[in-house]
Amino acid sequence: MSLIVAEDLAKSYGSVVAVDSLNLSLDEGSVTGLIGPNGAGKTTTIKMILGLLKPDRGVVKVFGQDPWDNPAIRSMIGVVYEKAFFPAHQKTLEYLQRVCRVFGVSESRAMEVLELVNLQEASDRQIKALSAGMLQKFAIAHALVHSPKLVVADEMTANLDPQARSELLDLVLQLHKDEKATFLLSSHILPELSRVCDSVAIMNRGKVWAFGKLSELYEKYAVGIIRVSTDSPYELEAEIKKLNYVKEVNSDIRGISVTVVDGKEDELYEDVLKLAKRIRAKIFGIETGSASMQELYRLAIRQAISGKERK
Amino acid sequence: MGKGKPFLEVLASAIHEDFRFPFLELFAFLYALGTFALANFTVGIYSQAGTNDAVAYSVTSSLIGGSLIIFIILVFKNVAYGLGSDLEKGIIQTYFSYPLKRRAILTAKLLSAIGVSLLLFLGIQISAFYILAPDIVLPQFGTIVLTYAANLSYPLFISAIMLLLTMKLRRGGIGLVIGIVLYVAMNIVSSLAFFVALATKSAIGLQIISVISPSYALQYYYGGLASVPEFSSVPWTPTLSETMLYVGGSYVIVAALFILGYVYFSRRLNL
Repeated sequence: MSLIVAEDLAKSYGSVVAVDSLNLSLDEGSVTGLIGPNGAGKTTTIKMILGLLKPDRGVVKVFGQDPWDNPAIRSMIGVVYEKAFFPAHQKTLEYLQRVCRVFGVSESRAMEVLELVNLQEASDRQIKALSAGMLQKFAIAHALVHSPKLVVADEMTANLDPQARSELLDLVLQLHKDEKATFLLSSHILPELSRVCDSVAIMNRGKVWAFGKLSELYEKYAVGIIRVSTDSPYELEAEIKKLNYVKEVNSDIRGISVTVVDGKEDELYEDVLKLAKRIRAKIFGIETGSASMQELYRLAIRQAISGKERK
Repeated sequence: MGKGKPFLEVLASAIHEDFRFPFLELFAFLYALGTFALANFTVGIYSQAGTNDAVAYSVTSSLIGGSLIIFIILVFKNVAYGLGSDLEKGIIQTYFSYPLKRRAILTAKLLSAIGVSLLLFLGIQISAFYILAPDIVLPQFGTIVLTYAANLSYPLFISAIMLLLTMKLRRGGIGLVIGIVLYVAMNIVSSLAFFVALATKSAIGLQIISVISPSYALQYYYGGLASVPEFSSVPWTPTLSETMLYVGGSYVIVAALFILGYVYFSRRLNL
Protein backbone atom coordinates (compact mmCIF):
# COMPACT_ATOMS: atom_id res chain seq x y z
CA MET A 1 0.00 0.00 0.00
CA SER A 2 1.29 3.48 -0.89
CA LEU A 3 1.22 5.95 2.00
CA ILE A 4 2.31 8.89 -0.14
CA VAL A 5 1.43 9.38 -3.79
CA ALA A 6 2.55 12.50 -5.65
CA GLU A 7 1.63 12.95 -9.28
CA ASP A 8 2.89 15.65 -11.61
CA LEU A 9 3.63 17.92 -8.66
CA ALA A 10 4.91 21.42 -9.43
CA LYS A 11 5.74 24.46 -7.33
CA SER A 12 7.43 27.73 -8.26
CA TYR A 13 8.54 30.71 -6.19
CA GLY A 14 8.11 33.59 -8.62
CA SER A 15 10.23 32.70 -11.63
CA VAL A 16 12.20 30.03 -9.76
CA VAL A 17 10.90 26.52 -10.39
CA ALA A 18 11.40 24.57 -7.15
CA VAL A 19 9.59 21.36 -8.09
CA ASP A 20 8.58 20.35 -11.58
CA SER A 21 6.50 17.36 -12.71
CA LEU A 22 7.46 15.32 -9.67
CA ASN A 23 6.12 11.80 -9.27
CA LEU A 24 6.67 9.76 -6.16
CA SER A 25 5.09 6.80 -4.42
CA LEU A 26 6.07 5.65 -0.95
CA ASP A 27 5.30 2.12 0.21
CA GLU A 28 4.25 1.26 3.74
CA GLY A 29 7.13 0.01 5.88
CA SER A 30 9.88 1.48 3.71
CA VAL A 31 12.67 3.85 4.65
CA THR A 32 12.95 6.13 1.65
CA GLY A 33 15.63 8.73 1.15
CA LEU A 34 14.95 11.87 -0.81
CA ILE A 35 18.45 12.77 -1.92
CA GLY A 36 19.84 15.67 -3.85
CA PRO A 37 21.98 18.78 -3.49
CA ASN A 38 20.82 21.97 -1.80
CA GLY A 39 18.15 23.57 -3.98
CA ALA A 40 17.09 20.26 -5.55
CA GLY A 41 13.51 20.75 -4.33
CA LYS A 42 13.52 18.30 -1.42
CA THR A 43 12.18 20.67 1.22
CA THR A 44 9.51 22.05 -1.12
CA THR A 45 8.42 18.48 -1.92
CA ILE A 46 8.24 17.61 1.77
CA LYS A 47 6.29 20.77 2.56
CA MET A 48 3.74 19.89 -0.11
CA ILE A 49 3.49 16.37 1.29
CA LEU A 50 2.85 17.84 4.75
CA GLY A 51 0.29 20.36 3.52
CA LEU A 52 2.41 23.39 4.38
CA LEU A 53 2.67 24.45 0.75
CA LYS A 54 -0.05 24.30 -1.86
CA PRO A 55 1.18 22.82 -5.16
CA ASP A 56 0.81 24.99 -8.24
CA ARG A 57 -0.04 21.85 -10.19
CA GLY A 58 -0.49 18.16 -9.58
CA VAL A 59 -1.89 16.03 -6.82
CA VAL A 60 -0.44 14.82 -3.55
CA LYS A 61 -2.21 12.24 -1.42
CA VAL A 62 -1.08 11.11 2.00
CA PHE A 63 -3.05 8.17 3.40
CA GLY A 64 -5.32 8.76 0.40
CA GLN A 65 -6.14 12.34 1.45
CA ASP A 66 -5.08 15.79 0.33
CA PRO A 67 -2.81 16.96 3.19
CA TRP A 68 -3.70 20.64 2.67
CA ASP A 69 -7.39 20.10 3.41
CA ASN A 70 -7.28 17.19 5.84
CA PRO A 71 -5.42 17.99 9.04
CA ALA A 72 -6.86 14.83 10.62
CA ILE A 73 -4.26 12.72 8.76
CA ARG A 74 -1.56 14.44 10.81
CA SER A 75 -2.49 12.20 13.71
CA MET A 76 -0.76 9.46 11.68
CA ILE A 77 2.29 11.52 10.69
CA GLY A 78 5.34 12.51 12.70
CA VAL A 79 7.31 15.46 11.38
CA VAL A 80 10.94 16.43 11.96
CA TYR A 81 12.01 19.70 10.37
CA GLU A 82 15.56 20.71 9.48
CA LYS A 83 15.45 23.43 12.10
CA ALA A 84 13.25 22.38 14.94
CA PHE A 85 11.34 25.13 16.72
CA PHE A 86 9.10 24.77 19.70
CA PRO A 87 7.74 27.24 22.24
CA ALA A 88 11.07 28.14 23.80
CA HIS A 89 10.04 28.83 27.37
CA GLN A 90 8.32 25.54 28.05
CA LYS A 91 10.01 22.57 29.65
CA THR A 92 10.69 19.54 27.48
CA LEU A 93 8.61 17.03 29.44
CA GLU A 94 5.78 19.49 30.01
CA TYR A 95 5.62 20.35 26.34
CA LEU A 96 5.63 16.71 25.28
CA GLN A 97 2.85 16.02 27.79
CA ARG A 98 0.91 18.81 26.11
CA VAL A 99 1.56 17.14 22.74
CA CYS A 100 0.30 13.86 24.23
CA ARG A 101 -2.95 15.65 25.08
CA VAL A 102 -3.08 17.12 21.56
CA PHE A 103 -3.03 13.61 20.11
CA GLY A 104 -5.08 12.02 22.87
CA VAL A 105 -2.39 9.62 24.08
CA SER A 106 -1.39 8.87 27.65
CA GLU A 107 0.91 11.50 29.18
CA SER A 108 3.29 8.75 30.28
CA ARG A 109 4.26 8.45 26.60
CA ALA A 110 6.09 11.79 26.94
CA MET A 111 8.73 10.30 29.22
CA GLU A 112 8.91 7.16 27.09
CA VAL A 113 9.86 9.10 23.97
CA LEU A 114 12.33 11.25 25.91
CA GLU A 115 14.00 8.04 27.09
CA LEU A 116 13.92 6.70 23.55
CA VAL A 117 16.10 9.60 22.39
CA ASN A 118 18.20 9.64 25.58
CA LEU A 119 16.90 12.99 26.76
CA GLN A 120 15.35 11.85 30.02
CA GLU A 121 17.90 13.86 31.99
CA ALA A 122 16.79 17.02 30.20
CA SER A 123 13.14 16.50 31.06
CA ASP A 124 13.07 19.46 33.42
CA ARG A 125 14.99 21.75 31.12
CA GLN A 126 13.45 24.59 29.12
CA ILE A 127 13.43 23.92 25.38
CA LYS A 128 15.51 27.04 24.75
CA ALA A 129 18.28 25.58 26.92
CA LEU A 130 18.79 22.51 24.69
CA SER A 131 21.84 22.27 22.44
CA ALA A 132 21.35 21.90 18.66
CA GLY A 133 21.83 18.12 18.86
CA MET A 134 19.52 17.78 21.84
CA LEU A 135 16.91 19.93 20.13
CA GLN A 136 16.99 17.68 17.09
CA LYS A 137 16.59 14.62 19.31
CA PHE A 138 13.74 16.40 21.06
CA ALA A 139 12.16 17.03 17.63
CA ILE A 140 12.31 13.29 16.97
CA ALA A 141 10.75 12.56 20.36
CA HIS A 142 8.05 15.14 19.52
CA ALA A 143 7.43 13.40 16.18
CA LEU A 144 7.05 10.01 17.84
CA VAL A 145 4.74 10.91 20.71
CA HIS A 146 1.66 9.56 18.92
CA SER A 147 3.42 6.51 17.41
CA PRO A 148 2.88 7.71 13.85
CA LYS A 149 2.63 5.32 10.93
CA LEU A 150 4.67 7.71 8.82
CA VAL A 151 7.66 9.83 9.86
CA VAL A 152 8.73 12.62 7.52
CA ALA A 153 12.11 14.17 8.30
CA ASP A 154 13.64 17.03 6.36
CA GLU A 155 17.44 17.30 6.62
CA MET A 156 17.18 16.27 10.25
CA THR A 157 20.93 15.77 10.60
CA ALA A 158 22.03 18.86 8.68
CA ASN A 159 23.12 20.93 11.67
CA LEU A 160 24.62 18.17 13.76
CA ASP A 161 28.12 16.96 14.45
CA PRO A 162 29.12 13.52 13.10
CA GLN A 163 28.59 11.80 16.47
CA ALA A 164 25.08 13.16 16.85
CA ARG A 165 24.32 12.36 13.19
CA SER A 166 25.38 8.79 13.66
CA GLU A 167 23.29 8.45 16.83
CA LEU A 168 20.21 9.82 15.09
CA LEU A 169 20.57 7.43 12.17
CA ASP A 170 20.92 4.53 14.60
CA LEU A 171 17.73 5.78 16.20
CA VAL A 172 15.92 5.77 12.83
CA LEU A 173 16.98 2.16 12.27
CA GLN A 174 15.84 1.21 15.76
CA LEU A 175 12.48 2.92 15.33
CA HIS A 176 11.92 1.33 11.97
CA LYS A 177 12.55 -2.02 13.59
CA ASP A 178 10.65 -1.44 16.86
CA GLU A 179 7.80 0.88 15.89
CA LYS A 180 7.36 -0.42 12.31
CA ALA A 181 7.10 3.15 11.08
CA THR A 182 7.51 4.21 7.47
CA PHE A 183 10.15 6.91 6.97
CA LEU A 184 10.70 9.56 4.35
CA LEU A 185 14.08 11.19 5.00
CA SER A 186 15.55 13.98 2.95
CA SER A 187 19.24 14.74 3.01
CA HIS A 188 22.02 16.23 0.93
CA ILE A 189 24.55 14.24 2.96
CA LEU A 190 24.35 11.14 0.83
CA PRO A 191 26.56 8.57 2.59
CA GLU A 192 24.49 8.67 5.76
CA LEU A 193 21.29 7.78 3.93
CA SER A 194 22.83 4.64 2.47
CA ARG A 195 23.04 3.40 6.07
CA VAL A 196 19.33 3.55 6.69
CA CYS A 197 17.37 3.68 3.43
CA ASP A 198 16.03 0.76 1.45
CA SER A 199 14.71 3.05 -1.31
CA VAL A 200 15.84 6.37 -2.68
CA ALA A 201 14.42 9.10 -4.85
CA ILE A 202 17.21 11.00 -6.54
CA MET A 203 16.28 14.64 -7.00
CA ASN A 204 17.89 17.42 -8.95
CA ARG A 205 16.50 20.73 -10.21
CA GLY A 206 13.02 19.99 -8.92
CA LYS A 207 12.63 16.58 -10.53
CA VAL A 208 12.96 12.97 -9.41
CA TRP A 209 15.54 11.56 -11.81
CA ALA A 210 15.61 8.03 -10.44
CA PHE A 211 13.49 6.25 -7.88
CA GLY A 212 13.44 2.72 -6.58
CA LYS A 213 14.92 0.16 -4.22
CA LEU A 214 18.53 0.93 -3.47
CA SER A 215 19.61 -2.54 -4.66
CA GLU A 216 17.79 -2.05 -7.96
CA LEU A 217 19.34 1.35 -8.49
CA TYR A 218 22.83 -0.01 -7.84
CA GLU A 219 22.10 -2.79 -10.31
CA LYS A 220 20.86 -0.31 -12.87
CA TYR A 221 23.44 2.43 -12.53
CA ALA A 222 26.50 0.96 -10.86
CA VAL A 223 27.18 -1.94 -13.26
CA GLY A 224 30.76 -1.88 -14.49
CA ILE A 225 32.02 0.04 -11.48
CA ILE A 226 34.85 -1.44 -9.50
CA ARG A 227 35.71 -0.02 -6.12
CA VAL A 228 39.35 -0.28 -5.10
CA SER A 229 40.18 0.43 -1.47
CA THR A 230 43.78 1.56 -1.04
CA ASP A 231 46.09 3.67 1.10
CA SER A 232 47.34 5.61 -1.96
CA PRO A 233 44.21 6.48 -3.96
CA TYR A 234 45.58 9.49 -5.81
CA GLU A 235 48.82 7.81 -6.94
CA LEU A 236 46.99 4.67 -8.04
CA GLU A 237 44.33 6.73 -9.83
CA ALA A 238 47.03 8.30 -12.01
CA GLU A 239 48.25 4.84 -13.02
CA ILE A 240 44.80 3.38 -13.64
CA LYS A 241 43.88 6.30 -15.89
CA LYS A 242 46.56 5.12 -18.31
CA LEU A 243 44.75 1.82 -18.96
CA ASN A 244 43.00 2.04 -22.32
CA TYR A 245 39.86 0.11 -21.34
CA VAL A 246 39.09 2.38 -18.38
CA LYS A 247 36.18 4.74 -19.04
CA GLU A 248 36.23 6.78 -15.85
CA VAL A 249 38.17 7.00 -12.59
CA ASN A 250 37.18 8.89 -9.46
CA SER A 251 39.11 8.80 -6.24
CA ASP A 252 38.46 9.92 -2.72
CA ILE A 253 40.47 9.60 0.46
CA ARG A 254 39.49 5.95 0.99
CA GLY A 255 39.72 4.54 -2.50
CA ILE A 256 39.01 4.67 -6.19
CA SER A 257 35.91 3.98 -8.28
CA VAL A 258 36.74 2.72 -11.74
CA THR A 259 34.33 2.29 -14.64
CA VAL A 260 35.55 -0.04 -17.35
CA VAL A 261 34.20 -1.17 -20.70
CA ASP A 262 32.04 -4.30 -20.53
CA GLY A 263 33.93 -7.56 -19.95
CA LYS A 264 37.14 -5.96 -18.71
CA GLU A 265 36.48 -6.30 -14.97
CA ASP A 266 38.80 -9.30 -14.49
CA GLU A 267 41.54 -7.62 -16.47
CA LEU A 268 41.33 -4.53 -14.29
CA TYR A 269 41.54 -6.70 -11.18
CA GLU A 270 44.89 -8.13 -12.32
CA ASP A 271 46.19 -4.78 -13.56
CA VAL A 272 45.35 -3.01 -10.32
CA LEU A 273 47.34 -5.56 -8.33
CA LYS A 274 50.31 -5.12 -10.67
CA LEU A 275 50.13 -1.33 -10.57
CA ALA A 276 49.81 -1.30 -6.79
CA LYS A 277 52.87 -3.49 -6.50
CA ARG A 278 54.84 -1.18 -8.76
CA ILE A 279 54.01 2.01 -6.84
CA ARG A 280 54.04 0.19 -3.49
CA ALA A 281 50.42 0.95 -2.66
CA LYS A 282 48.50 -1.25 -0.25
CA ILE A 283 45.22 -2.73 -1.54
CA PHE A 284 42.58 -3.44 1.10
CA GLY A 285 39.88 -4.72 -1.23
CA ILE A 286 38.45 -4.74 -4.74
CA GLU A 287 34.68 -4.93 -5.17
CA THR A 288 32.73 -5.12 -8.40
CA GLY A 289 29.28 -3.56 -8.85
CA SER A 290 29.90 -1.32 -5.91
CA ALA A 291 29.58 2.45 -5.69
CA SER A 292 29.16 5.05 -3.04
CA MET A 293 25.86 6.90 -2.75
CA GLN A 294 27.51 9.95 -4.31
CA GLU A 295 28.53 7.89 -7.32
CA LEU A 296 25.10 6.40 -7.60
CA TYR A 297 23.63 9.90 -7.49
CA ARG A 298 26.06 11.16 -10.14
CA LEU A 299 25.50 8.18 -12.42
CA ALA A 300 21.72 8.33 -12.16
CA ILE A 301 21.64 12.03 -12.96
CA ARG A 302 24.09 11.62 -15.83
CA GLN A 303 22.20 8.71 -17.33
CA ALA A 304 18.89 10.52 -16.99
CA ILE A 305 20.29 13.61 -18.71
CA SER A 306 21.87 11.60 -21.56
CA GLY A 307 18.62 9.61 -21.97
CA LYS A 308 16.71 12.87 -22.20
CA GLU A 309 19.16 14.24 -24.74
CA ARG A 310 18.82 11.09 -26.87
CA LYS A 311 15.06 11.60 -26.93
CA MET B 1 -5.27 6.78 20.56
CA GLY B 2 -8.03 8.74 22.27
CA LYS B 3 -9.53 11.99 21.17
CA GLY B 4 -7.20 14.85 21.92
CA LYS B 5 -7.91 18.49 22.53
CA PRO B 6 -5.51 20.12 20.10
CA PHE B 7 -7.23 23.51 20.03
CA LEU B 8 -7.17 23.95 23.81
CA GLU B 9 -3.57 22.77 24.00
CA VAL B 10 -2.40 25.17 21.27
CA LEU B 11 -4.31 27.95 23.02
CA ALA B 12 -2.72 27.05 26.35
CA SER B 13 0.70 26.93 24.72
CA ALA B 14 0.16 30.33 23.07
CA ILE B 15 -0.98 31.87 26.38
CA HIS B 16 2.03 30.32 28.10
CA GLU B 17 4.35 32.06 25.62
CA ASP B 18 2.49 35.38 25.28
CA PHE B 19 2.01 35.87 29.02
CA ARG B 20 5.08 34.20 30.46
CA PHE B 21 6.68 35.77 33.50
CA PRO B 22 6.82 38.74 33.92
CA PHE B 23 4.47 39.88 31.13
CA LEU B 24 1.18 38.88 32.79
CA GLU B 25 2.23 40.32 36.16
CA LEU B 26 3.65 43.50 34.62
CA PHE B 27 0.68 44.23 32.41
CA ALA B 28 -1.88 43.41 35.11
CA PHE B 29 -0.05 45.92 37.32
CA LEU B 30 0.05 48.50 34.51
CA TYR B 31 -3.66 48.02 33.80
CA ALA B 32 -4.45 48.60 37.46
CA LEU B 33 -2.13 51.59 37.52
CA GLY B 34 -3.66 52.95 34.31
CA THR B 35 -7.19 52.50 35.56
CA PHE B 36 -6.85 53.72 39.14
CA ALA B 37 -3.90 56.11 39.06
CA LEU B 38 -3.60 57.40 35.51
CA ALA B 39 -7.25 57.85 34.57
CA ASN B 40 -7.43 60.64 32.01
CA PHE B 41 -10.09 62.92 33.43
CA THR B 42 -9.39 65.63 30.85
CA VAL B 43 -11.49 63.66 28.36
CA GLY B 44 -14.58 64.02 30.47
CA ILE B 45 -14.02 67.61 31.55
CA TYR B 46 -14.74 68.95 28.09
CA SER B 47 -17.92 67.02 27.43
CA GLN B 48 -21.20 68.49 28.48
CA ALA B 49 -21.83 66.22 31.40
CA GLY B 50 -25.40 67.30 31.96
CA THR B 51 -27.35 64.08 31.51
CA ASN B 52 -26.82 60.74 33.21
CA ASP B 53 -25.54 59.06 30.08
CA ALA B 54 -23.13 61.96 29.48
CA VAL B 55 -21.82 61.50 33.02
CA ALA B 56 -21.42 57.77 32.36
CA TYR B 57 -19.60 58.55 29.09
CA SER B 58 -17.30 61.04 30.85
CA VAL B 59 -16.42 58.63 33.64
CA THR B 60 -15.94 55.70 31.25
CA SER B 61 -13.73 57.74 28.90
CA SER B 62 -11.69 58.91 31.86
CA LEU B 63 -11.17 55.36 33.10
CA ILE B 64 -10.32 54.04 29.64
CA GLY B 65 -7.77 56.77 28.92
CA GLY B 66 -4.73 55.44 30.77
CA SER B 67 -5.41 51.74 30.27
CA LEU B 68 -6.13 51.82 26.56
CA ILE B 69 -2.52 52.56 25.68
CA ILE B 70 -1.41 49.63 27.84
CA PHE B 71 -3.94 47.39 26.08
CA ILE B 72 -2.59 48.57 22.73
CA ILE B 73 1.03 47.88 23.74
CA LEU B 74 0.13 44.39 24.95
CA VAL B 75 -1.87 43.52 21.81
CA PHE B 76 0.85 44.94 19.55
CA LYS B 77 3.46 42.87 21.39
CA ASN B 78 1.44 39.69 21.13
CA VAL B 79 0.40 40.10 17.49
CA ALA B 80 3.60 41.48 16.02
CA TYR B 81 6.21 39.92 18.27
CA GLY B 82 4.33 36.75 19.32
CA LEU B 83 2.72 35.64 16.08
CA GLY B 84 5.50 37.24 14.00
CA SER B 85 8.21 35.32 15.78
CA ASP B 86 6.14 32.08 15.60
CA LEU B 87 5.92 32.53 11.84
CA GLU B 88 9.54 33.59 11.45
CA LYS B 89 11.04 30.85 13.61
CA GLY B 90 8.75 28.05 12.47
CA ILE B 91 6.69 27.37 15.60
CA ILE B 92 3.57 27.71 13.42
CA GLN B 93 4.99 24.85 11.33
CA THR B 94 5.17 22.79 14.50
CA TYR B 95 1.52 23.62 15.24
CA PHE B 96 0.72 22.63 11.65
CA SER B 97 1.92 19.13 12.42
CA TYR B 98 -1.02 18.73 14.81
CA PRO B 99 -4.44 17.47 13.64
CA LEU B 100 -5.95 20.92 13.70
CA LYS B 101 -7.41 23.15 10.99
CA ARG B 102 -5.42 26.25 10.14
CA ARG B 103 -8.23 28.57 11.19
CA ALA B 104 -8.31 26.91 14.61
CA ILE B 105 -4.57 27.58 15.04
CA LEU B 106 -5.08 31.25 14.15
CA THR B 107 -8.07 31.46 16.48
CA ALA B 108 -5.97 30.05 19.32
CA LYS B 109 -3.19 32.56 18.62
CA LEU B 110 -5.62 35.50 18.39
CA LEU B 111 -7.53 34.46 21.50
CA SER B 112 -4.25 34.49 23.35
CA ALA B 113 -2.91 37.68 21.75
CA ILE B 114 -6.07 39.80 21.79
CA GLY B 115 -8.74 37.88 23.73
CA VAL B 116 -6.79 37.46 26.95
CA SER B 117 -5.49 41.04 26.75
CA LEU B 118 -9.05 42.27 26.31
CA LEU B 119 -10.24 40.12 29.19
CA LEU B 120 -7.55 41.59 31.45
CA PHE B 121 -8.38 45.11 30.32
CA LEU B 122 -12.13 44.77 30.77
CA GLY B 123 -11.80 42.79 34.00
CA ILE B 124 -9.80 45.50 35.70
CA GLN B 125 -11.93 48.28 34.19
CA ILE B 126 -15.20 46.72 35.35
CA SER B 127 -13.73 46.18 38.82
CA ALA B 128 -12.74 49.84 38.86
CA PHE B 129 -16.26 50.85 37.93
CA TYR B 130 -17.73 48.94 40.83
CA ILE B 131 -15.20 50.51 43.17
CA LEU B 132 -15.18 54.10 41.84
CA ALA B 133 -18.68 54.60 40.41
CA PRO B 134 -20.99 51.76 41.46
CA ASP B 135 -24.14 53.83 40.92
CA ILE B 136 -23.35 54.37 37.23
CA VAL B 137 -22.64 50.83 36.04
CA LEU B 138 -26.10 49.26 35.88
CA PRO B 139 -28.32 52.25 35.01
CA GLN B 140 -26.00 53.38 32.23
CA PHE B 141 -24.80 49.99 31.07
CA GLY B 142 -25.62 50.72 27.38
CA THR B 143 -23.62 53.97 27.36
CA ILE B 144 -20.68 52.26 29.03
CA VAL B 145 -20.69 49.41 26.50
CA LEU B 146 -20.97 51.89 23.62
CA THR B 147 -18.04 53.91 24.97
CA TYR B 148 -15.87 50.82 25.29
CA ALA B 149 -16.89 49.62 21.83
CA ALA B 150 -16.09 53.01 20.30
CA ASN B 151 -12.71 53.23 22.00
CA LEU B 152 -11.61 49.66 21.27
CA SER B 153 -12.49 49.73 17.60
CA TYR B 154 -9.42 51.60 16.37
CA PRO B 155 -6.88 49.51 18.34
CA LEU B 156 -8.55 46.40 16.90
CA PHE B 157 -8.40 47.95 13.43
CA ILE B 158 -4.65 48.51 13.79
CA SER B 159 -4.26 44.99 15.22
CA ALA B 160 -5.95 43.54 12.14
CA ILE B 161 -3.64 45.56 9.85
CA MET B 162 -0.66 44.34 11.88
CA LEU B 163 -1.92 40.77 11.65
CA LEU B 164 -2.16 40.97 7.86
CA LEU B 165 1.30 42.55 7.56
CA THR B 166 2.82 40.04 9.96
CA MET B 167 1.40 37.11 8.00
CA LYS B 168 2.38 38.55 4.64
CA LEU B 169 5.94 39.41 5.71
CA ARG B 170 6.29 36.41 8.10
CA ARG B 171 7.83 38.67 10.72
CA GLY B 172 6.44 41.18 13.15
CA GLY B 173 8.94 44.06 13.14
CA ILE B 174 7.52 46.03 10.22
CA GLY B 175 3.94 45.32 11.32
CA LEU B 176 4.80 46.67 14.77
CA VAL B 177 6.33 49.86 13.36
CA ILE B 178 3.36 50.44 11.05
CA GLY B 179 0.96 49.77 13.94
CA ILE B 180 2.68 52.40 16.09
CA VAL B 181 2.78 54.84 13.16
CA LEU B 182 -0.94 54.31 12.52
CA TYR B 183 -1.76 54.87 16.17
CA VAL B 184 0.26 58.08 16.40
CA ALA B 185 -0.93 59.23 12.96
CA MET B 186 -4.56 58.96 14.02
CA ASN B 187 -3.97 61.37 16.90
CA ILE B 188 -2.28 63.86 14.57
CA VAL B 189 -4.81 63.45 11.76
CA SER B 190 -7.77 63.81 14.13
CA SER B 191 -6.34 67.08 15.50
CA LEU B 192 -5.77 68.34 11.97
CA ALA B 193 -9.30 67.32 10.95
CA PHE B 194 -10.65 69.17 13.97
CA PHE B 195 -8.91 72.42 13.05
CA VAL B 196 -9.81 71.99 9.36
CA ALA B 197 -13.44 71.56 10.46
CA LEU B 198 -13.18 74.76 12.53
CA ALA B 199 -11.69 76.68 9.64
CA THR B 200 -13.87 75.36 6.82
CA LYS B 201 -17.07 74.71 8.76
CA SER B 202 -17.09 71.27 7.15
CA ALA B 203 -17.02 68.11 9.27
CA ILE B 204 -16.25 65.73 6.42
CA GLY B 205 -12.72 65.02 7.73
CA LEU B 206 -14.01 64.20 11.19
CA GLN B 207 -16.69 61.95 9.72
CA ILE B 208 -14.16 60.02 7.63
CA ILE B 209 -11.93 59.52 10.66
CA SER B 210 -14.92 58.36 12.68
CA VAL B 211 -15.50 55.50 10.26
CA ILE B 212 -12.39 53.76 11.54
CA SER B 213 -12.12 55.47 14.92
CA PRO B 214 -15.72 55.96 16.11
CA SER B 215 -14.65 57.28 19.51
CA TYR B 216 -14.49 60.67 17.78
CA ALA B 217 -18.14 60.39 16.66
CA LEU B 218 -19.10 59.50 20.22
CA GLN B 219 -17.04 62.39 21.56
CA TYR B 220 -18.85 64.82 19.23
CA TYR B 221 -22.20 63.26 20.07
CA TYR B 222 -21.54 64.23 23.67
CA GLY B 223 -20.50 67.71 22.63
CA GLY B 224 -16.78 67.21 22.08
CA LEU B 225 -14.96 70.40 22.95
CA ALA B 226 -18.09 72.51 22.52
CA SER B 227 -17.89 73.65 26.12
CA VAL B 228 -14.60 75.37 25.30
CA PRO B 229 -15.68 78.73 23.82
CA GLU B 230 -12.90 78.85 21.21
CA PHE B 231 -13.90 75.43 19.91
CA SER B 232 -17.67 75.77 20.17
CA SER B 233 -18.20 76.24 16.45
CA VAL B 234 -17.27 72.71 15.31
CA PRO B 235 -20.06 72.00 12.86
CA TRP B 236 -20.80 68.41 13.80
CA THR B 237 -23.08 66.87 16.36
CA PRO B 238 -24.03 63.38 15.22
CA THR B 239 -27.22 61.81 16.53
CA LEU B 240 -27.08 58.69 18.71
CA SER B 241 -28.18 56.46 15.84
CA GLU B 242 -25.52 58.01 13.58
CA THR B 243 -22.94 57.44 16.29
CA MET B 244 -24.03 53.85 16.66
CA LEU B 245 -23.80 53.49 12.89
CA TYR B 246 -20.21 54.72 13.01
CA VAL B 247 -19.40 52.25 15.77
CA GLY B 248 -21.12 49.39 13.91
CA GLY B 249 -19.50 50.38 10.62
CA SER B 250 -16.04 50.44 12.18
CA TYR B 251 -16.56 46.91 13.51
CA VAL B 252 -17.70 45.75 10.08
CA ILE B 253 -14.34 47.03 8.74
CA VAL B 254 -12.44 45.37 11.60
CA ALA B 255 -14.33 42.10 11.05
CA ALA B 256 -13.65 42.26 7.30
CA LEU B 257 -9.92 42.71 7.95
CA PHE B 258 -9.82 39.78 10.39
CA ILE B 259 -11.79 37.62 7.94
CA LEU B 260 -9.23 38.56 5.28
CA GLY B 261 -6.55 37.46 7.73
CA TYR B 262 -8.30 34.13 8.28
CA VAL B 263 -8.73 33.54 4.56
CA TYR B 264 -5.05 34.34 3.96
CA PHE B 265 -3.89 32.13 6.84
CA SER B 266 -6.16 29.24 5.86
CA ARG B 267 -5.90 29.29 2.08
CA ARG B 268 -2.84 31.23 1.01
CA LEU B 269 -0.17 31.09 3.70
CA ASN B 270 2.62 28.89 2.41
CA LEU B 271 5.20 27.99 5.01
